[in-house]
Parts: sequence; C-alpha cells; structure tokens
Amino acid sequence: MIAGGLQSAASLRSLTGTLLLSQLPSSPFLTLSEPSRFTAIESGLLAVSIGLSCGLFFWRFGPILGTILRSRKDPGLTLHPLGRRTWDFVWEVLCQAKVIRQRPLPGLAHAFVFWGFLAFALVSLNHLAVGFGLGFLSPSSTAGRFYFYFAALWALLVAISITGLFVRRFFVRPVWLGQKVSYESGVIAFLIFLLMLSYLGSFFVTGEGAAIRLLWWTHTLTLLLFLPLIPHTKHLHLVLSPVTVFLKRPGFSDIPPLREDEDFGLVAGKDVTQLISLQTYSCVECGRCTEHCPAATTGKVLNPKEIILGFRSYLNEFGPSSDVPLLTESRIASPDNPPAKFLSMEAAFQCTTCGGCEFQCPVGIQHVPIIVGLRRGATNTGAWEDDYGTKLFLALEKNGNALGLGTAERDKFIQKQAFPIFDGSQEYCLWMGCMGGYDPKGREIIADFAKVMQHLGTTFGVLKKEKCTGDPARRLGNDLVFQTLAETGLKTLETAKVKKIVAICPHCVRTIATDWKDFGVAPEIEHHSEFMARHIDRLPKQNSGSIVYHDPCYLGRYQNIYEEPRTVVEHAGTLLEAPRSHERSFCCGAGGGLAFLGEEQGDRVSHVRARELAATGAQIVGTACPFCNTMFRDALTAVSDAPPQLLDIAQLTVRALSAPQDPKPSGLTESGGAQ
Amino acid sequence: MKIVVAIKQVPERDAPVHIAADGRWIDESDLNYTINEPDAYALEEALQLKEKGGDGEVVVVCAGPDRVQSTLREALAKGADRAIHIECDDLGSRDTLGIARILAEAIKEEAPDLILTGLQSDDLGLGQTGVVLAELLGIPHATIIMQVELLGSGLKVKRELEDGWFQHVEMPLPALLTIQSGGNKLRYATLMGIKKAKSKEMKTVAAFPATAAPAVELERVFLPEKQKKTEMFTGSPAEIAAKIVEKLKFEVRVL
Repeated sequence: MIAGGLQSAASLRSLTGTLLLSQLPSSPFLTLSEPSRFTAIESGLLAVSIGLSCGLFFWRFGPILGTILRSRKDPGLTLHPLGRRTWDFVWEVLCQAKVIRQRPLPGLAHAFVFWGFLAFALVSLNHLAVGFGLGFLSPSSTAGRFYFYFAALWALLVAISITGLFVRRFFVRPVWLGQKVSYESGVIAFLIFLLMLSYLGSFFVTGEGAAIRLLWWTHTLTLLLFLPLIPHTKHLHLVLSPVTVFLKRPGFSDIPPLREDEDFGLVAGKDVTQLISLQTYSCVECGRCTEHCPAATTGKVLNPKEIILGFRSYLNEFGPSSDVPLLTESRIASPDNPPAKFLSMEAAFQCTTCGGCEFQCPVGIQHVPIIVGLRRGATNTGAWEDDYGTKLFLALEKNGNALGLGTAERDKFIQKQAFPIFDGSQEYCLWMGCMGGYDPKGREIIADFAKVMQHLGTTFGVLKKEKCTGDPARRLGNDLVFQTLAETGLKTLETAKVKKIVAICPHCVRTIATDWKDFGVAPEIEHHSEFMARHIDRLPKQNSGSIVYHDPCYLGRYQNIYEEPRTVVEHAGTLLEAPRSHERSFCCGAGGGLAFLGEEQGDRVSHVRARELAATGAQIVGTACPFCNTMFRDALTAVSDAPPQLLDIAQLTVRALSAPQDPKPSGLTESGGAQ
Repeated sequence: MKIVVAIKQVPERDAPVHIAADGRWIDESDLNYTINEPDAYALEEALQLKEKGGDGEVVVVCAGPDRVQSTLREALAKGADRAIHIECDDLGSRDTLGIARILAEAIKEEAPDLILTGLQSDDLGLGQTGVVLAELLGIPHATIIMQVELLGSGLKVKRELEDGWFQHVEMPLPALLTIQSGGNKLRYATLMGIKKAKSKEMKTVAAFPATAAPAVELERVFLPEKQKKTEMFTGSPAEIAAKIVEKLKFEVRVL
C-alpha cells in the first residue's frame, strides 16, 4: 500500500520518481490526480495501444462470435415474453441475485467485483479520454469528486473481493472448480487488483510528477491487457452472459420443438443452435451445476459442466456446420481426436433431468434441453441401444403405460375402487397416470386422494381409457412415442370434454401442461398438492408427529410449487426441512426415464437422498410424487434399520378423515393394506 | 440376399374382443390392431441378417384390408426396404390353405432367398400358414426357430424342441423358417425410421381369387367360458401345505 505522509509542496518535486512516498494534497480532501498534459507521442502511443488491444480482442472474439452466429437458428425463438426476460436480466445479472443466494460468500464477492466494474465504466472511459485531453470528469468539481469517491469505495470493495476470490480459488480450492487450477484466472485476478490499486493510488499523489504518469499508464495498460485476455478464458462470460441470461428459453427445462423432417435432435454440429452455442461459450466453469448434480455426485460419468465444455471444444474443433457426431461413441477416435469421456452416450443417459444444474447456473445455461437434445439425437436415430430403454419404448408403444402391464389391470383396479368414469358431469377428471393406474404404491395414493375428494364433496371421474403422458419417452428423447402419446391423450381429453384435471404425479402435470403444447391445447391441470392446499380449511387438522418433506424436482424446480405441499404437511404434523430443500432439493433418482433403466453406477441417488431424509430424525417422510415414493420405499429400508414411515401428502391427509363407509383405519387402503 | 417376411395383423393383446352378430367371426369395429408378435421377431431376424450380411433387401408382405398398411408402415420404419399389401377383405372366411395360397402367389414373383414368418398367430394360433406356404412354393422349411446363421450358401438354424431340448439343422437356400418369439431383442421404432418409411415403396396387389371352397369352415366363434373355483385353506403353514399336496395329487392329479 502507498504510505501517506505530510510533505510540503516544495519537497514534493524532489521526490518525484518514487512510488514509495506520496503525500496528502494541500486541500483537506484527497483528490484524484491525473496527468494534466499529454505529448502528441504519448497520445499516439495510447491510440496505438487501444487499437492493438481492441484488435487483439476482436481477433480472438471474432471467430467465437462467428461460430455462434453461424449455428443454426433456434426454431420458434422470439423475444416474447419481454417482461420476464427483462426481469431475469435485472434480477440475475444486475442484482446478481442467483449468484449471491446460492453461494452467499463468494457470491457477494463476485457481486462486488461486478458492481465495481459497472461503477468503473464511467471512470475508465474518462481515464482513457484524459489521454487525449478529452477528460469529461473533473477531479476538482463537486460532481467529479463525488463520483471518484464513489468509484474509490467500489475499488476498495473490488480489491478486497478479488483477493478473497483469489484465495478461494488457489488455496481453499473447492472441488467444484475442477482439479485443474486455472492460472489465467490468477493473472486476471492480479490484473483486476492492479487496476484498483492504480486507481486508489492516484488519490495519494499530486502535481505533475512521474509517479502520476506511472500510475496512469499502469492503470491504462492493465485495462488494455485485460481486454484481449477475455475471449479465450472463462472471463468471456463478462461479454456473453448478460446476453445469454436475457435470451435463454423462457421456460424451465424448455425442450424446443423439432423443426422439420431432418431434425432428430442434437446429432452433430449442424444441429447445435445459436442459443446452445451462446450458452456453451458463456460457461464460467464455476461448477455449481456439478455440485448439485445427482449423477456427478454419486459417481456417474455425467458431469453437466463437462457436457457444456464438451460442446465448446467440439465447436472450436469442428465448427457449427459439422457432420461429425457430437457423442463420442459415434466418432472415430484417433490420436488427434481421443474419445472424450464426458460428451458420451453413457453420460447423456445418466441424467435424471432433475434440473438442479439449470436452476443453479448463474449465466443462463439450460442444461436439461441440451442433454435431452443429445438423447433425442441418439434415440430418434436408433443409435441408443439399451435393453431397458427398448423395453420401455415397446411397452409404451404396445400397452400405453410405462409399466408394460395390460390395460385390463387398470380397468380392474377402477372397478374395485368403484371410481366413477368421467362423463362430463363431474367437475374434475382425476388423471391416474401409470403409477396411479398400475403401481401398487401409486394405487394407494390415488385411492386415498379420491377419498379426500369425496370428503370435500368434489365430483370427479377417471378416464375409461388413459395412456401414459409420454414423460419418460420425452425425457429419453423418443419423439415418436412421445408425440403419439401426446396426440392420443389430447384427443381422449377432448372427446371426453374434460375441463379440469387433477393428478397425483408432478411428471404427468408438467408433461400435460407444458410439453403437450407442441401438439395442442390441454385442459387446465393441477397437482393434488395445489388442490388440497386450497381446501385445507375444510380438512381436519391432526398431529402425526414430525414429517420431513421431500421436494420432487418436477413439482419444485419445474413448476415452482413449494408451499402448497408444505401447507398440507403442516396440517398433518410438524414440518421438518431436509438439509437440501426447496429449489436445492436433491433428486430421488427416478426422473428422466431413469426409473425404468438398469442398475446405477456408483452410489444410488435414491440411497443418498434417503439417508439424508432419514438423518433428519423425522417420524415420517412426506412425498408428493409417486416416483419419489417408489424410489424411497426401497431406499429407506436399505439405508436404515428403523426407517421412517413413507407417505404421500394425500395419505397424510386421509389419516384424519373419518370415513363412515369405510370402517378400516384410513391409513389402510383397498389395494395395498398397511404401509 | 433377399428376405421376405410374411406378417399378420392381429387385434391388440388386451383388446376387448366381442363376437360378431352372426357368431361366425369377431366384431372388428372398435378394435386396435398390431403386428403379430412372432412376426415381429421374424422381422427382427430378417433385419439382423441383412445388417450382418452388409447388403440385401427385406420385403414385408401382409394380407388384409386397408388397415394392415399401418402395420406394414411400422415394419418399414423399423428398417424393411419394401412392403407388399395383398388386398383381401375376407380373411376370416379363408382357411390356412387359402391364406397360404394368396401369400404364395404374391411372394413367388419376388423369388426370395429366404422367407421368414412367425411360428403362429396370436389370434388363431394354428401354426400352419408358414409350413403350407413352403409346401406351395416347393422349398424346404424349418419351424420354431430360435437362431439363424448363414453358412456359405445355406443356413444353420436352431430349433426349439420340448423339455429344454434344441435341434440344430443345416439346410439349403431358398428356404422358409417359422420364427419363435424371444430369440432376439426387438428394436423400437424411431422418428428417423418413420420419416424414411414415408418414401419407401408400398405396393398393393389384389389377392389371388379363391379357387375352391375352403376345406375348413368356421362354424361358431365363442369366448372361453370362465370357470373360477377358489378354495381357501386355513390352518398352520404345514397343515395348509399338506392339504395342497393332497389336492394336487388326488383332485388335480398333477403330482
């Protein structure tokens, strides 16, 4: 740091040429000093430096921009909804809300650096303008003085923050940043530190000495050195991520429609869209996606960050119009082109589509549509060969349900439960789903929810024939099966004149409400948590002890429904929160069609989550998704000798209902008996 | 190598089957149809043989009304190269010989090296069409085939016998094989396959007219009558087990 000392103006001149000493100015306030006059040579040198810096920047940034622009257009992408986009930009970019909220300490440090940069924009512009005698902010004017002080405050915060971030990256080294230390990050951090130091230093020198010139030139050259370093480092996010956040597809895990006859998903470089290109170059390699990935954290090959970086290396190597397959199994490996581990079919099919990565990403990368895009490319062309996957698709083709059971099984269950068939006179169509119609545990849930509806006096009916919504096919990239099921489903609902649907499965709700949009307009649909929360006043309050609620990915992150199921849980007992809850909830392992695929590598996702839920000490694990329920049924017994009881929120509610027509305790149901 | 696969379209397995008013056939309205399962395995075998050989052609043939085109289209989507639809609205009134004859007439022109078909149909389950077809074409046949291997100019096939026994047979080409379900793993239809199938040839030919009255005539079709007798045993597990053994020995006579 520069030491201040009280010196006379006369002795100052004799001390010029050294940075070690500087002095308080004669005025009672510190004033920013800048050289007042530049020679023509100096100005010329500055102009050349600026030209060189910008030239180098565009020399390196041009090809990247070219790659992004030459990628194929995104089908159906418009600036609509502008309000939502603007809000995301303000909240995520300007306010840095996501960065801070999800990693508070480094997030805040990052935000200070970012806001500092914004505050510095005017200062830097003026700084360069001074070199041509065009300075517009006078250090001695009130406005100028005020602004320079304002910037100095930020400079101090930036200097402290960047030091903290430097220490974190090089000494603390969180595992999510990757094993390779990025030395360029160190260089950049040093440059930022130097920028701030040279600015702050300018307050402590006066007059026309060499010190001032030295500080001025240090600041200038650091600034100009920084610029060309941006494009080939992760600091490219400075330029791209504001655009990426603004332009990202408006929905969560929003899978784009296929464009024409030759589009099967992400097969090769020619299928990579401008948005995907932009997103891959925006990646700042922070590893938040990996940190929250149920696959990456349980020993699978999949690592969402490496998928994105895999796209980036692919684009750098092959370009956006290449026919070389994206997935490395399909590429011919050579010494120049070794098979990369991460952009592989194996990795792509380990994703549970939980969306933890996409939710966390601070620069607007949408991992799930990219991973589903890779799966589409593999499945729609038949390149993905997997015994379980094929069995699932054939079951969906033939039986119309993911469990591969005969439709007569569903008919029998409906008869046994005496569910009314929807005929247009009832208020709700109760969508049973594959789990509610065929799975023993799912049947218990749907039967109990039906009792809740009956208790409330809500009229409902089930469809005579109902097929899977196509959710597993959609997430596994089988557009043929998905489209067939979506069209069939829409037609069935239209023929039956359904106006309102309620379902126990968040996957059904999401798929019908969002994914079916490509093929028609579905009736209004809600999850049973929303329905029960709305009628909570008419449901009996009970105290069943402590209940830990597990947020299903497809209800929470996908549909932003966190409070309704909690309302129901709190009505039944004392709500406990798992260490990872709400938008940070950890997947049960079933999503993305993985419930139907084979044995997992490494730890089971469901076991990791079950351990976490059991460790809360709750007496009951409350779920709101039949898939989570079925995963935990096995996992809780496997990880705990005295596992907590496992109940859906409908089952929690039904326990308090006195059912005169049913003398059995209400925790018992027709189909399944005791839990 | 040119392979012809003879396919039958049958009602979906869970379809609620009703008997037609005249009691001589099923009511075909409101039924969903699909490929006969053993035929799906025959198609899979043909596709795999073609893929292993590196070249060749797979032609699928199906007799029936217009609705069978959807099944043929699906076969094209899974990888068959061409389809032949034999137009025939009176399948129910033709016997096995009659059906084999119209298939033979359509296949003869193709002069294939190999004909594959399912060992039987899911609806009637007679298991004769393939055998009679081979006879009409004058070529050798083998039935209930689990595996097919190309061997120089001929074939080596694995037949399923009873009680876990298998028979390996070498035979010349051209030949006809009836394929057992489960020998291979079926593939799923893909979007790319469906798109490609649109541009593949589907030829429609008229069925060979029936020359004689069918040798077998259907008199009455009826649903199996349900007989369900459930008896609950009570007592300790040992007592229950003893009672079950007794029943199995003396009433059911299977022990």
